[in-house]
Amino acid sequence: MEVSKRQELLTLMADKMNRAVRLYLENCSRCGTCIDACHAYASTRDVRFSAVGRAQNVRRLFENYFRITGKVAPWLSDAETLDEAWMDRLYETAFSCTGCRRCMVYCPFGIDTQQIQAIAKALLIGMDMDPKPLTMRARGEIDKAKNLELTRQKLEKELTGVEKELVEKYPSLEGKEIVPLDKEGANVLYVSMAEKPSIASGAAILNAAGESWSLSYFEAVNFGAFAGNANMSEQIYRRIVDEAERLRVKELVICECGTAYRIMKHMIGRRSFRVISILELVARYLREGRIKLDKSVIEGTVTYHDPCQIARNSGVYEAPRNVIRALTDNFAEMIPNRSENWCCGGGGGLVIAQEPEFRMMTSRIKAEQVRAAGADIVATACEMCLAQLKDLNDEFELEMDVKLVSDLVYEALVFS
Amino acid sequence: MVNAFWYFVMVPMVYIAVVWCLVGIVVRIVQVVREPSPPHTLRIFRDDESPDDPSGAGLGPALWDAFTMPSVRRYQPVFWVFLMVFHVSLLVLVPAHLDVLPQINILSAESPHMLGNGAVGVLFTVSLAYFLLRRFKGPVREVSVASDYLLLVLLLSIAITGDVISWGNSWTEQGFVITKQEFGQYMTSLLALSFADPLKFLPGTHYVVIGTHILLVNLLLMFLPFSNLMHTCFAVPLNVLRRG
Repeated sequence: MEVSKRQELLTLMADKMNRAVRLYLENCSRCGTCIDACHAYASTRDVRFSAVGRAQNVRRLFENYFRITGKVAPWLSDAETLDEAWMDRLYETAFSCTGCRRCMVYCPFGIDTQQIQAIAKALLIGMDMDPKPLTMRARGEIDKAKNLELTRQKLEKELTGVEKELVEKYPSLEGKEIVPLDKEGANVLYVSMAEKPSIASGAAILNAAGESWSLSYFEAVNFGAFAGNANMSEQIYRRIVDEAERLRVKELVICECGTAYRIMKHMIGRRSFRVISILELVARYLREGRIKLDKSVIEGTVTYHDPCQIARNSGVYEAPRNVIRALTDNFAEMIPNRSENWCCGGGGGLVIAQEPEFRMMTSRIKAEQVRAAGADIVATACEMCLAQLKDLNDEFELEMDVKLVSDLVYEALVFS
Repeated sequence: MVNAFWYFVMVPMVYIAVVWCLVGIVVRIVQVVREPSPPHTLRIFRDDESPDDPSGAGLGPALWDAFTMPSVRRYQPVFWVFLMVFHVSLLVLVPAHLDVLPQINILSAESPHMLGNGAVGVLFTVSLAYFLLRRFKGPVREVSVASDYLLLVLLLSIAITGDVISWGNSWTEQGFVITKQEFGQYMTSLLALSFADPLKFLPGTHYVVIGTHILLVNLLLMFLPFSNLMHTCFAVPLNVLRRG
């Protein structure tokens, strides 16, 4: 690696440094408590895929270039030189980390592996080694905000199909404004996924509750965050923030997308609107009697997979459970669950960026957990988890239906 | 020549090590404080918490996490027992050493024993031996680096020489080779910056063991600011980040 390139990468590394990251890099005792926390290690028994194993790849560079001990006695801390071979090693562990932060539950200091891997990802972007499918999608998301008129035209075309589907299912909607756009002063700005089903289920729920709402022009998913590109991530979430502020909505409701929810809930700073997930909203509607669900529709036992970004990393534990209990009397918890739930193995954009073979290999523990729940339906609240769980269902022949909770609500919704 | 060496270890080097350690700690803390704050919360949520619930956040819960290590207790209970034994022993050994000074009387000044009566030191040693053995086994060995072993060997050597000093105090029929009161005089002379020769106060046969104990402690103090023993200062802030 050329000296100038290395210097450029080290500048990127220095830019990622903040108080938390420095504490995380300097204080690990390598006690190994976190090792068993990672689904990838639990499935493969390969220490490279443990939290500390991944973090050491970054920490050893930090020792070499940012600490005096690494310069004076590199053998003490296994300090490493930043070169092409080390970049390959960084790629292997950074873009196989789902950022689930289960290791934080285990670590006595609460070291955040996701933050450490963000450094690795920044270096890899600097070397043009980022996963291109994620970066390309992130660029596409940013471009949507640049040509709003074209975005609107495409969305309206998509909405024609959605509205047709909803009228067929709920004839009383005929002639009404089913999916409002650009509604200033609405209570709710609903941010869906780009796909039709996510818009349809959200629209059905919001209309059934008689909500004053508007659909966002933009999809919730943030590929910039998955790619580890902070700049792109900010441009992507800012589109939605600007839209919510322009429309002066009271609440920003995020569809079942874990990363989008965590970003909007915890990373955008104080705003004029409140951020909640669609399942928190559904739980509230049920509590207030604004919507009703037919318990006879969903057949079989339902279990629930807590998406890491919504549950452990954002604190939404009970709302999805309350919704499922309103859907069925046959609810069985997965063990472990809530903050200790195993990551599905597809988060952090891995569903898109990683080969299915790798995802299946590192998620064996998840498949065993799902199988042990003995349910007919595994429900979740994140599109990435949904895709990964479907792959696991096929690969490990779990013979379950994999669904989003909102889809179950959509199926059982009593539309008066 | 030998006496000059032990004099250097037991007097000037003690001052150098203490000043080095304190300056090093301050520099490390300043390095951390000067960094910008993280741009957003890094909190993770417990099972009984919810998104807008601040009850689990803050200093109180972080102190609890830092001092009782509930995650280790849950996931590695045997390791947790040794960790608690180690840290509690350390907490007892600090005042036990200070109690040697005549001005401090946790035990009566006439008592021949140090606080803990040698047993605490043995518990401290056993826990360190466990930590070291653990590093030679399984995945922990794969993630350990040289400084992890060096630190544990250093601490274990300090603990063993401390145990030998404690045990050696009962070697003679008359009582003690070197009494607690004599240790007190040595420590008083250190505090008074008198630069007096420790041989004046510590006439016993295991002067070299005491010298070795102090040499190792000096080395530990000098290494401490560069080591992950700095978690002594940072365990609480780290847990504050996790608690949000």
